[in-house]
Amino acid sequence: MIAGTLARLLARRGRPVLALDSDMLPGLTLSLGARPPDAPPLMDAAERGEDGRWRLKRGVGPVRAVQRYATEAPDGVRLVQAGKVGPDGLPPIMPAIQAYYRVIHRLRRSPAFAAWDIVGDLPAGPRQTAFGWAPYADRFLLVVEPTSQSLLTARRIARIAAQRRPVQITAVANKVRARGDVERIERFLDRPVEVVIPADPAVAAAERRGAALLDHAPDAPSVAAIARLADAVLRE
Amino acid sequence: MKVVVAGKGGAGKTTVAGTLARLLARDGAQVLALDCDANPMLGVSLGAGMERTELLVGVRQGLDAGETAHEPTVEGMMETFGTDAPDGVRLVVASRIDKVDPGCP
Repeated sequence: MIAGTLARLLARRGRPVLALDSDMLPGLTLSLGARPPDAPPLMDAAERGEDGRWRLKRGVGPVRAVQRYATEAPDGVRLVQAGKVGPDGLPPIMPAIQAYYRVIHRLRRSPAFAAWDIVGDLPAGPRQTAFGWAPYADRFLLVVEPTSQSLLTARRIARIAAQRRPVQITAVANKVRARGDVERIERFLDRPVEVVIPADPAVAAAERRGAALLDHAPDAPSVAAIARLADAVLRE
Repeated sequence: MKVVVAGKGGAGKTTVAGTLARLLARDGAQVLALDCDANPMLGVSLGAGMERTELLVGVRQGLDAGETAHEPTVEGMMETFGTDAPDGVRLVVASRIDKVDPGCP
C-alpha cells in the first residue's frame, strides 16, 4: 500500500515515475489503482539461448520494456510487473520473471532512467533482498510495524541490504498507535524513524475493496504521512 | 495429524500456526512445529521470545556449516536442530536467509 501510494504522490509532484512490482501477488498493482493484466506483460520479452539459458530478446532493454510492456497506472505512473502466479505455479510465467530480472539489472546503468523516480515493491521478508532483486535502488525504505516479527524482519533486511553494496536505509514506522511504538522501533533497529504512518482504518478498508488508498480515502491520515515520505525522498 | 498453514504475507499464518501448535500440545498431542519460512518467525508466535528465535539455527545452515553429518531421520533432525518451545512443542527451523546470495534454501 505504501509503495503504490508513494509512487502516485511522486508522480503528482511532477516526477516521471516507474513502479516495479517483483511480488508474485498483485499488491502493488491494486495499491496503484491499476488493472491487473490477464497475462504477465513480459512473457514474450525473454527467450532461451542455445546454451539453454534465459536472455532478453534482441532489442529489449529497459527503454523498450517500459515502452512496450509497462502498464499504465493512475497519475501517469508506469508499472512493470514480474508476473503473477496462477494455479500452475511459477513454470508457466518463467519467461516473464526472467525478463523482468534482467531488465531491472540494466536499469541502474540506463541513462534514459537517470532522472526517473523508481519505486520497487518487494515481497515480504528478506528473500528478494538477499537475491539481489533491487539492483536499481540506492535507498531502502524499511517499513516496520511495532511487532516483534516485523522488528526482527526489518533488522535482518537492513543487514542483508548493506552487505551487497552501500545503500541508504530509511526506517518508516507503519501502523503506529502510540508514541512508544516509534521508540521501540528506533531502539531495536538502532536507527531513527524518519516517517511515521499511523494505524489507519482507511488502509484496511481500501484493501478490502481492492482499491487504491489514494482513491478510496485521499484525505486519510496515512495518505498524509506517505505524502511526507514523498517529500522526504525528494528532498535528498 | 499433519497440517500446513498457507496464505498471503501478513494474513496471520504464523500466529495461527504457533497458537494451534501450543493448543494441540496442551491437549496432550506430541507436536512438531516446522518453520519453513526463510524468514522464520514461528518461534515468536510460539512464545520462545525474539532473541531466542533470532538465534535458532536452520537445518540447512547447520548442514552447510558442516557441524554435523546429514541426519537421515526425522527424529535425528528434531534432536539435533530442534528447540523446546512452551507447552512441550518441539520447534525446527528448516532454513533462514541471513546473507546475500544464500543459494537455494
